[in-house]
Amino acid sequence: MKKFPLNSEVDFVVIGSGAGGGIMAKQLATAGFSVVVLEQGGWGKYGREHEYNKDEWIQLHLPEDQQLMSDPNRQRNTFRRNDREKAKPGNHTYGCVVGGGTVTYGGSSWRHLPYEFKEATTDPTIPSGTGMADWPITYEELEPYYVQAEWEMGISGRKIDSPFLAPMSKDYPVPPVPLKSSGALMMTAAQKLGLTCVPGPLAIITRPYMGRAACVNCGICSGYGCQVRARSSSAVTMLPLAVNTGRCEIRARSYVREITTDGAGRCTGVIYFDAEKKEVRQRAKVVVLSANASESARLLLLSKSGRFPDGLANSSGLVGKYVMYGNGVTATGLFEHPLNEYKGVVSGAAIVDFVPSDPKRGHYGGGRMTARGYQTPFELGLNGLSPGTPHWGAAYKKALKEEANHRMTIQCYVTQMPLETNRVDLDPDVKDEWGLPAMRITSTSHPDDIKNMEFFRQKSIEVLQAAGATRVWAPPVGDTRGGAHNRGTCRMGNDPKTSVVDKYQKAHDVPNLFIVDGSVFVTGGRNHPTMTIQALAFRAADHLVQAAKKGAIKTSF
Amino acid sequence: MSEKSRRAFLISSATGLNAAWVAANLPEILAAQDQAQQAARTGHAKLSFFNEAQAAEIEAITAQIIPSDEDPGAREAHCVIFIDRALSGFDKSKQAVYTAGLEDLRKKVQELYPGAAKFSALTSEQQIKTLTAMERTPFFTVVRNHTVMGFLSRPSHGGNYNKVGWKLIAYDDSLNFKPPFGYYDAQYENEHKA
Repeated sequence: MKKFPLNSEVDFVVIGSGAGGGIMAKQLATAGFSVVVLEQGGWGKYGREHEYNKDEWIQLHLPEDQQLMSDPNRQRNTFRRNDREKAKPGNHTYGCVVGGGTVTYGGSSWRHLPYEFKEATTDPTIPSGTGMADWPITYEELEPYYVQAEWEMGISGRKIDSPFLAPMSKDYPVPPVPLKSSGALMMTAAQKLGLTCVPGPLAIITRPYMGRAACVNCGICSGYGCQVRARSSSAVTMLPLAVNTGRCEIRARSYVREITTDGAGRCTGVIYFDAEKKEVRQRAKVVVLSANASESARLLLLSKSGRFPDGLANSSGLVGKYVMYGNGVTATGLFEHPLNEYKGVVSGAAIVDFVPSDPKRGHYGGGRMTARGYQTPFELGLNGLSPGTPHWGAAYKKALKEEANHRMTIQCYVTQMPLETNRVDLDPDVKDEWGLPAMRITSTSHPDDIKNMEFFRQKSIEVLQAAGATRVWAPPVGDTRGGAHNRGTCRMGNDPKTSVVDKYQKAHDVPNLFIVDGSVFVTGGRNHPTMTIQALAFRAADHLVQAAKKGAIKTSF
Repeated sequence: MSEKSRRAFLISSATGLNAAWVAANLPEILAAQDQAQQAARTGHAKLSFFNEAQAAEIEAITAQIIPSDEDPGAREAHCVIFIDRALSGFDKSKQAVYTAGLEDLRKKVQELYPGAAKFSALTSEQQIKTLTAMERTPFFTVVRNHTVMGFLSRPSHGGNYNKVGWKLIAYDDSLNFKPPFGYYDAQYENEHKA
């Protein structure tokens, strides 16, 4: 891997190596620019993925430099429901390793549907007083980049024409994952109920593709690194290609504390803490911020200066606002015969009929219902049995034996509207392990979002019953408290007064700062953000490369 | 390659941990492996945290958490060995909970059954009553969770002896499967072949 001298200036510094950062690094380096990627997390098993741990007991105790997720005891954060409350320590976490959240995610790769870019002006069910707004781009503009992302990353799935699915100009490069028993039960129920159940698009390859092996259905999947490199993470797709150009250096355990600017209001680079918590300065002609919606917003707010007293790129006052962490709804059923859901990927199928909002429901909202039953042995034994089951003793053991492998869960991914009152900012009291103000999350979902969750809860119960469940339970719906699906803190738009970045993800206030992650989402879709982050990244990179080559952005090219 | 680095390398290959970290923790890992081998030979492992009397009490608790019936329980799974090793390794920080908890257990037994020698000497019914009275204590919660994890973790950590825990939940640790995986996808595939 190329090593740039620490005192040299590079063309691009990319902050974060996940879904957005990985693509930016690869596109910029292959276009001929020099790139330094700064990743807060460790290397994980980058380049020797076969060494990824699959042992649950070990996974709970990974040494600090091998952890794959952030740690709320180090990357401290606080949470409150509204401004009247004092924020308390929170448990928001996100992927924190070279490759970011894509190293461990379930891999769902749903596109946004065309109307999801213009719901604010087309959906009559949206109540007044929310932050719903139209995106400054259309589905048609983004469609070629969805194709590019699906083919460059390696997404499995099947092109299906349906009003509930995004129209595709090209099929997926590899076929969908096996249905699993949960998927088969969902298919059966959907047929009975007249619903549409489809295989889900996943960033997990089912055939050898671009030098990587197909999924072996090991079952220790989401939350764990993939030993056979079948999960199409940034770490096995984009980053190696970036590094192989000889123009990209990845520095792990490099935690950026500030984006620096000059008197003219341009970025000059960053200051970061290395693994020993020593401050290092990296100069760059352009800064690409891809740290995830919460951390990107926090870093902008941390990057105060005389010229940017409210934080960088924040003349609108909107940095951190409209955050959407996303809501989930679950219902679980027991079945007579074994499903063996511990084999295979997390989810292979979804009911998609309720993706669009429907005035008949009496509120705004939609979502996807995904079939799954994935539980590791620890998850089953520690807290995975049906409600009311004793935690120990003969009855516990009986349930352990009888319920293992006999359950499926419907997990719904649903809408959450952007609200100005929901936001990420800096906690006035709590500091993280590096002595910087901790992230403070303020979030309460709109009442329509809660009604929508209840709608999906009832639908899930209905589907499980139609599938023939012998027993069904569904916990009460609960509002989000943070999480890796965060979006919306630096929304894109044409008007610098009402948005943070333009339609090419350039900060309105800073000509050489680009934000390429879920921050730029105007609305949240159906809480499956990764594919849209990736398509947007390819689009932003395309524009950035063209602009840089034309000299509109000053690089050494 | 020195003996230590050779063993660290072998262990790291087998566990997916990096060799440097394995090397740093090698004495504990080797001790744990020796114990596991010893346990496999004799049914009794060398203890590293508990004394024999403490181990008997903890084993009796684990045997109430996952009792033995027609299927093996925590006792046959050697959950006490898993816990002993956890407390000498990853969960050193929980030693105090156990030390204090064993003392609380002794007092609770005396309170409920004056004159009883120890928890493990009580009848099963008396043991259940005692633990029910302690069920909300941090000590019981920790033992319960350790017992469950010991029952369902890889046998190399001392518990789940002969994979009896995995057998109870019909879990296959092959990490490589071909569809169909379960009853319903097999059925669906059959129905949709035609």
